[in-house]
Amino acid sequence: MKLPPKLRLFSSDPLSPSPANDTPQVAKDLVAQIDPHRSWQAESIWTAETYTLPLPAMNPAAIGIRLPKLTTRTSGFLFPDSARWIPPATVQGPAAAKPKRKPESGRKHNRIKPPSDIVKLQDRLYYLLQPPLDLLVGSGQLNFPFEPFPYQLDGMAFLFPRYAGILADEMGLGKTMQAISTIRLLLCSGEVRSVLLVCPKPLVTNWLREFSVWAPEIPITAIEGSSAKREFAWRSPQVPVKVANYELLMRDEALLTEGDLHFDLVVLDEAQRIKNRTSTTSQVVRSIPRTRSWALTGTPVENCPDDLVGIFEFLSPGYLRPGMPMPQIASRAGDYILRRTKDMVLDDMPPKLYRDAELQLTPEQWSTYEAAEKEGVVHLENLEQSLTIQHVFELVLRLKQICNFDPVTGSSCKLERLVADIEEVAASGKKAIVFSQWVKSLDKIKEALQPYGPLEYHGKIPQKKRNTVIDRFKNDPSSHVILMSYGAGSVGLNLQFCEYVFLFDRWWNPAIEDQAINRAHRLGAAGAVTVTKMMALGTIEQRINDVLDQKREMFDALFASGSAEAGARPNVGLSREEIFGLFDLRAPCGKKVA
Amino acid sequence: MAEKPDKKDATLGYFTVVEDERTGWTGGLLILDRGGRPLEFQCTLPLRPTRSHEILFGPTLRAHLVAEVIGKLLIQKCRTPVTLLCCDQPEALAVEAHTAAPVALIREAAEADEGPMTGDMLSGSDCLQIAGASFFVPIERLSEVEAVAEYYGDLPDAVEPFERIREAIKEAHSQLARQRPEAA
Repeated sequence: MKLPPKLRLFSSDPLSPSPANDTPQVAKDLVAQIDPHRSWQAESIWTAETYTLPLPAMNPAAIGIRLPKLTTRTSGFLFPDSARWIPPATVQGPAAAKPKRKPESGRKHNRIKPPSDIVKLQDRLYYLLQPPLDLLVGSGQLNFPFEPFPYQLDGMAFLFPRYAGILADEMGLGKTMQAISTIRLLLCSGEVRSVLLVCPKPLVTNWLREFSVWAPEIPITAIEGSSAKREFAWRSPQVPVKVANYELLMRDEALLTEGDLHFDLVVLDEAQRIKNRTSTTSQVVRSIPRTRSWALTGTPVENCPDDLVGIFEFLSPGYLRPGMPMPQIASRAGDYILRRTKDMVLDDMPPKLYRDAELQLTPEQWSTYEAAEKEGVVHLENLEQSLTIQHVFELVLRLKQICNFDPVTGSSCKLERLVADIEEVAASGKKAIVFSQWVKSLDKIKEALQPYGPLEYHGKIPQKKRNTVIDRFKNDPSSHVILMSYGAGSVGLNLQFCEYVFLFDRWWNPAIEDQAINRAHRLGAAGAVTVTKMMALGTIEQRINDVLDQKREMFDALFASGSAEAGARPNVGLSREEIFGLFDLRAPCGKKVA
Repeated sequence: MAEKPDKKDATLGYFTVVEDERTGWTGGLLILDRGGRPLEFQCTLPLRPTRSHEILFGPTLRAHLVAEVIGKLLIQKCRTPVTLLCCDQPEALAVEAHTAAPVALIREAAEADEGPMTGDMLSGSDCLQIAGASFFVPIERLSEVEAVAEYYGDLPDAVEPFERIREAIKEAHSQLARQRPEAA
């Protein structure tokens, strides 16, 4: 290092005050001379040199990642260019006039879903890809005289794709309308061309009338008349829908099974008629050549699960077997059955008000009743081992008749009450139905109710006149009451304009009573339906009622879950033991029930 | 510009792609008559892009799958002439390159996944009403679509058919799932 030739050095005097003391610093200049010849420098020690560091070239290896072309395969399905289901209404606004689409309300569409027995994907997609029924109704492509309830559209969506199915809705929910509308859809879409409807004889006219309301454009005929006339009707291809009654099928069995007749669809109304597999009716119905089979019934199981097996023998023979465990029946049959109750689907159904008219027998009735019961029980006890259930039935019927009318004097506590009630019904301009199991009782009631224009509808009224009776009752303002027997008036009739139902005596099976009540308490009911159940206190009627009430409670408890209800329905009538128990009798052991 | 078809021959194509983590991407094309009844249905097998595809396509993968792979293939396979093709995914508008039919995005259907949509979000498109729903159509095809719009007056609902495709895809998947264990 080269020092400057002259350096000025400072030396500090240790005795002198520090600058911190703020005293003036005393410094002396020292001058040193450097001899450049005797001093050394850095350059004189090292000589500058250049070093080279070799850097190898970088040659990266390229690794290719093959990106496969994204591709897939397709499956395609062409569907038949089916005809429009229903001709569109003539009054259709232009597209521009269509209101703006409403945002989804969250309600599920009434979509047709294929049943589990349709396996082929193309067939399943055909149904799945159809427009939902509610939208077709909304757009005017599907027209109904009255707007169907959403659950009714669900019923149609259920039936439409099914080759075997049971519509088991509770009475009054419109099974007839749902079946007719689905038949109409199938006919218009060309999926079926010939339909046979089988129903009990009294309901034939009802079906014809309902068809004229819900499917007026579809030709329909009732099979009736002479043998030649019936054969002509059976073979008439230009009428796509034929209605026959069960009894008639048996007469025309040979024609049906041995001829070349074939139906694309056979619908059984009140299908519980074939619950007994060995009955002739069941055998004849099952032998009808057909492609699709539907059953309509409000009571698919009346007494035991085997009732359902009987119906399935028509729908899909062998699918259910007698004695199958209940859970197995429920699970196998589940996809084939649609059952809704009013509680499940109707929020706005008018209430059904039950009023128990608990009456004291008149003194005349009471004296006859007591004597008859005493005598009857003694007689039953004397029979001992030869006692059969038939003997008990006979006594029950005799006592029930006395509860209606005293056979000697004609006195009746029920009639007194009924007359007073009907007077009130008539005064308010309403109409009522009175049910009894005996035509003789109805005759006596008719006499007493003459001022209120009573009409009759029971087994003694000829079939041809029954329609007239219903029409007159509906339209004649002076007719306030119709007298019906359980047998003739419990199914298929629509009397929703009646707000009062009187059960003059009680049926054994509550299901039959319910059917009767639902003639009035059904869709379109004008208002709350009041059901008056007449019962003589302290008599056989009260004892039967108590047993049935207990059963009804059990039924309600079982059905509260709402699942597989048809299969789980208990026996709703009286058992053999319960019938003997009515008179505190013990059923003879090992005795075969008559 | 395609020739205007007869009213009775007018059809509507509905195209959508369903993405499912488990099965992959599945496309469906449903051809309806003017009343909404099904004429043809084409669907793809589920497509699973690899991790490489996901990395290298990045955010463009969805558009590529929807329009260039699935949409293109379905349109190629479809045998029924389509008058108007409807979609519910903005990416699907690019299938226009593979079909002579105009392609429309149905706003009410797209909003289910995309949120509220306005015309500004689809530049070059204009909106018209068919069967109560808003159809976004490229401006240059607008007059063509307007000319056939009146054909679809009976269509019950312009949005609901997408649900049908999704239901049908679900059904096809469940059949595939049933067949696989059997095959195994």
